[in-house]
Amino acid sequence: MSFPGRIISRISLYLPRLGLSALILCLVSGLVLAFYYRPMGNVFQNVEEITTLVPYGWFFRQLHYSAGQVFVILMLLHTLDHFFRRRYRIYALGEWISLIVSLALCFYTLFTGFILKADQEGVFAGRIFMNIIETLPVAGGAIARLFIVPGNSFFFLPYLYHSFFLPLLIIYLMRGHIREWFPNERFLLSGGIGLSLYALFVSPRIDIPPDASVAVVEGPWFFLGIQSLLKVLPSFLAGLVIPGLFIGCILVLPAAGPALRALSFNERIIRIGETGLYCLLIISICLYAFLTLRAAIWGP
Amino acid sequence: MERRGFIKKGLQWAASLLGASFLAYPAFSFMTFRKATKKRIVFHPEDQAGAVTFKEGVYLIREPNEIFALSAQCTHLGCTLNYDAVSGRFACPCHGSVFTLSGKRISGPARKDLYRVPLTKTASGDIEAVLEVG
Repeated sequence: MSFPGRIISRISLYLPRLGLSALILCLVSGLVLAFYYRPMGNVFQNVEEITTLVPYGWFFRQLHYSAGQVFVILMLLHTLDHFFRRRYRIYALGEWISLIVSLALCFYTLFTGFILKADQEGVFAGRIFMNIIETLPVAGGAIARLFIVPGNSFFFLPYLYHSFFLPLLIIYLMRGHIREWFPNERFLLSGGIGLSLYALFVSPRIDIPPDASVAVVEGPWFFLGIQSLLKVLPSFLAGLVIPGLFIGCILVLPAAGPALRALSFNERIIRIGETGLYCLLIISICLYAFLTLRAAIWGP
Repeated sequence: MERRGFIKKGLQWAASLLGASFLAYPAFSFMTFRKATKKRIVFHPEDQAGAVTFKEGVYLIREPNEIFALSAQCTHLGCTLNYDAVSGRFACPCHGSVFTLSGKRISGPARKDLYRVPLTKTASGDIEAVLEVG
């Protein structure tokens, strides 16, 4: 194997193992935080107490935040690695769908965590999310209430999803894909030391109270692209149709070849169809990465 | 598959779907039910001194011949609007919609004007705004 090939295969081997270590740390720190966090009443004050009053609260909050981010980023890189090397071809369609759905749910878990900070960014993100779902025709309002409700229980459903439904669902979906649930001690140790050092030396960002007046409010990094799109496109299109189409195309990617084959197209058309969808997805990923980067540098 | 087997399988599927929807509809109705609540925001006389006062998601606006209240939530996707005293306009910090002091939309992705919140004045001089939540 050539030198770059060896490096890539080494990275492909390390990414999921380091990710699993981050997941374990994220679950453990989340369990600790659950002893003080309350999703009702003055949630902003509760989070501030965790950060400034409760012993080692700042450490566990940062550890939970960084472990969650690292896990999802590594999972994203792991999926991109498979996607770019077109390894989706070796997966059964069901397994590929489970992986993509679990990655989407991981992002949703990060997003609910972002809401649960209960600062201005979190509250606004929750309201935007609720209002976008409400744009769904016919039952939008009712469907939105399955995820988040206005009023005193605003944080309750995101909390339920964040700490109960989503972790269970993600672990269930990934159960067949993960070969060993406890990674090698070396990975666990290096992940633990790295994330603990981050939590020890990097202070959490200052939380802005929900009622403060701030010129620009940004969403989580992975939704900055959508935040930019929401400025120029209708909410239904930018918030639901475009992300939905993108995820839908990735989901059916391994099925594109077999589906065309079943329709008795010749092999050349099948190859063009599958490669066309693959290229379209690459262009979409690049465009979204550009939008995100642009929003991160110049504001959404 | 034989015709009889096909019909039997189809009937089984239809029966399971019907059974599931008997349970799914009540479950969906239960899970999505929310009691409509009202939130009362009281502006005491000392809160009413400025031309524009913000309290708990409502802007109270005092104009020479009128006092009215506007919901501070942007009609685009619900972010709380900031009041810019220099331009006398409301601006959304999330997606950039801009509204006049009377709540009319000027620019940005919002399509509707701001909602006017009904006000009542009490004998003690308080002004009460009632917001519907849920």
